[in-house]
Amino acid sequence: MSHPFGESNARHHSELLLRELEINSFPVCPFLIADKLNVEVRQLPSNKKGVSGMLLRNDDQFGILYATYLENSGFERFSISHEIGHYYLPGHPDVILVDGIHQSHAGFISYDKYEMEADYFAANLLMPKFLFETALDQAGVGLDGIEKLAAQCNTSLTATAIRYAQHVPEAVAIIISTNDLIDYCFMSDTLKEFRGLDWLRKGTPVPSDTFTHNFNKKASNISQGARKDGDTNLQYWFGGDHEIEMLEEIIGLGSYGKTLTVLSTSDLPTEEDLDEEEALMESWTPRFRR
Amino acid sequence: MESKNIFQERLVEARKKRRLSQDELANKTKLQASAISHFETGGRKPSFDNLKRLADALEITSDYLLGRTNDPSGIIENDPIYRDFENLTAQERDIARDFMKSLAKGSKKREGRK
Repeated sequence: MSHPFGESNARHHSELLLRELEINSFPVCPFLIADKLNVEVRQLPSNKKGVSGMLLRNDDQFGILYATYLENSGFERFSISHEIGHYYLPGHPDVILVDGIHQSHAGFISYDKYEMEADYFAANLLMPKFLFETALDQAGVGLDGIEKLAAQCNTSLTATAIRYAQHVPEAVAIIISTNDLIDYCFMSDTLKEFRGLDWLRKGTPVPSDTFTHNFNKKASNISQGARKDGDTNLQYWFGGDHEIEMLEEIIGLGSYGKTLTVLSTSDLPTEEDLDEEEALMESWTPRFRR
Repeated sequence: MESKNIFQERLVEARKKRRLSQDELANKTKLQASAISHFETGGRKPSFDNLKRLADALEITSDYLLGRTNDPSGIIENDPIYRDFENLTAQERDIARDFMKSLAKGSKKREGRK
């Protein structure tokens, strides 16, 4: 028999847990949740980049160790929530009990399906839809909005940006890059539905006509959390037939070593606009030919 | 697959041994009765949290429920732990080991309170 699995399952269980613990306001505290579940949480002090968190078990007592090397409380809270996901999600004992200890490299760049489910659980636990969408309405569009939400949810800029792109009604893309390569890109539904755009895949180069491309050439921009913004064009990033102006906002993510780019526009033509434009072009073309 | 069947069998067996209905076990574990039924028929897999609640309510261990030991109060003392353990530094390994030990002490304290 197949068991429910994946993003919707993770969301269902994170919301179930929040309901059970009567948590209905921001910020959601993973330390408190772990405590309520009798899971002990401790720091794993280290300067070494690597393991972000681990779930340990001895008899029926559970503990979570979380790494502090990034000195980013949002990242730490996500790592703890990810491990709570391994503890709380059905079916995870099947893969984890082989070892008795479970290590994770938290973040959305994770291809193991159980790791991905734990990531979805963490995002939904810290930024549940029923709270996040209301907060998003008040936060506004672009990097400022993401920063306000990150402060409200006490989550990292990266995790908040991903969640933001998944829920914002406007045409928005968030892009994480390292040097001249794209790590990943999340597009809002409105942007995804816009015809003719290419998806930015992991490992593709940052387009050369963009502010991000220049920004990433200077390492101190990233390490010191520099900011930059300017007007860009939808076509530079995603191809397609339409030159649409977008705002490109960039911030260096410090010790994470990556760059966050937020692209946004409120001027994306609707399907009807595009149809009208095409019809107009069609009606004009024969006249020129005559 | 085998451990899943053992879990189903042992859950039914332990519940019946304690003379509990599915509803009564659901009340004791604060799980839904339908969840108990799904566990017993294999329609749903348990989480660690589910296992812990069931083991506590039935006064057995998760390891027994999962078929990892045949002793109802038994635990796996020498888990073949540490997948990717080689990725940890020596200091991190020590911290993980100490934490495991302190969890074991917590577990023994808990047993003492029973």
